[in-house]
Amino acid sequence: MASNISADLIWEVTHNYSSSLVKRKQSGGVQFSRHPLNLRNQYTRKYEGAVADKAIGVQAGDNGGVTLLTKKDNKAHAPSSHIQSSTFGSGRSSRKTYSAIVNSTAKHGYRPDLRKDAVARASAIRKSQKPVKEDKPAKLRGAKARAAEAS
Amino acid sequence: MSRPTVTVISASGEASKDTLSIPNVFKSPIRPDIVQFVHTGMNKNRRQPYAVSEKAGHQTSAESWGTGRAVARIPRVSGGGTHRAGQAAFGNQCRSGRMFAPTKVWRKWHQKLNLNQKRFATASALAASSSAALLLARGHNIATVPEVPLVISSTAFADAAIAKTSAAIALLRTVGAGADLDKVKTSRKLRAGKGKLRGRRYTQRRGPLIVYNPEEDGTELVLAFRNVSGVETSSVYSLNLLQLAPGGHLGRFIIWTSSAFAALDKIYGSTTEASALKKDFLLPSAIMKNPDLNKIINSSEIQTVLRPVRGGAITKRTVVQKKNPLKNFQVQLRLNPYAAAFAKEKLGSKAIKSEKAKPTGEAFSTQLHEN
Repeated sequence: MASNISADLIWEVTHNYSSSLVKRKQSGGVQFSRHPLNLRNQYTRKYEGAVADKAIGVQAGDNGGVTLLTKKDNKAHAPSSHIQSSTFGSGRSSRKTYSAIVNSTAKHGYRPDLRKDAVARASAIRKSQKPVKEDKPAKLRGAKARAAEAS
Repeated sequence: MSRPTVTVISASGEASKDTLSIPNVFKSPIRPDIVQFVHTGMNKNRRQPYAVSEKAGHQTSAESWGTGRAVARIPRVSGGGTHRAGQAAFGNQCRSGRMFAPTKVWRKWHQKLNLNQKRFATASALAASSSAALLLARGHNIATVPEVPLVISSTAFADAAIAKTSAAIALLRTVGAGADLDKVKTSRKLRAGKGKLRGRRYTQRRGPLIVYNPEEDGTELVLAFRNVSGVETSSVYSLNLLQLAPGGHLGRFIIWTSSAFAALDKIYGSTTEASALKKDFLLPSAIMKNPDLNKIINSSEIQTVLRPVRGGAITKRTVVQKKNPLKNFQVQLRLNPYAAAFAKEKLGSKAIKSEKAKPTGEAFSTQLHEN
């Protein structure tokens, strides 16, 4: 990044159009983001990962687990080595995954304001990876129904 | 944050030891408003005039029947023997009539654009092409590109080395631009609307723009890249805003040859030195030297002159929910500091020590009642 381009300027240029921006007419024209470094998928200055110098992203990993993506501040001009990714496997407990995410981002010079969102996203991903519990079979109500079932 | 140099990528795709200093044009201010305005004008100036035929709708000898025939006074086709006879003609409301206000080739197609504005827009678009974030926002697939701006050594093009399309594609893939090529290829779609019938059948994304220096790199590469879809080539001496910012959107992925990159300072000059090739042109200088707001706000220069925060940690909070001191111990403590000692000693739940009065004894009683 040249010295004349800051995150604020990039936001001013791209807040109206961007490849990661998804505009919808529903719900009063909501604006979502497809960027992998956007923790809440909202196209806002705070959350848009393409804009921030030190963005954080959490993605679902292959065969369970989550992948933490972080942008390296000093590699903004080098797209191929710009994003660091680290994977927390499905075997690791959720709490340890969350603390690892916090330790390597919010407590490591990355945006502390995104701590809650990063953990929440990781948690949602972990939850989605669990098998869906089947509903319990409905209990029969009333003597007549039980009698009809028995006969 | 300033990065004065850019690495030259060799033909094998690896970073060479050579570096080039970033030309001054990349430090020019990024102004989407100017780029958009100039782009709109340039796009208009490129149009080819069109119009309907002068004769259309008038190739008949129709005349009005006048009044008294209980029909409208519109001109009617004369004669008999065909269905056409007696039908209304000429009017824009008539079947087979002329259109309303037939289009003319002498419509005002062109727009005057100020040369300095055009140069400003070009410089601005070039500066934007050095930001990976803006390239990604435009939609270029540059995740595998080692560096932006991407400069390939001119030795890769020397002696007409890239004269075949196969060699050209191989070079693009080795420098990490393959993903963008694939994106263009898969993006080819049938155009919506009438444009299909008018020579604009397909739409597709734009790929990288290859900027070369014809004096050193030769022009064979133009033929080599000609048939790679989405890829355009341009001489560094005649850069076009329509290619640098397609659709008026900043951040085209540009692949430079090292000689073209080195020529930029000669072509555009600097903010203080006039350009060698453009008459009376100085690069626009930035109004804001440092556009990083966070850095400015948190700088010691600003922070030292700010007044300290009033009240500090015990600032009065205005709109907060009132807490019940009887239920919320912390709030109670604020009102009644004694509550801490009271609670610690458990004075509230302690039994009142009241010893029963000792029986006073017989002697006292008799003495009291003695008369």
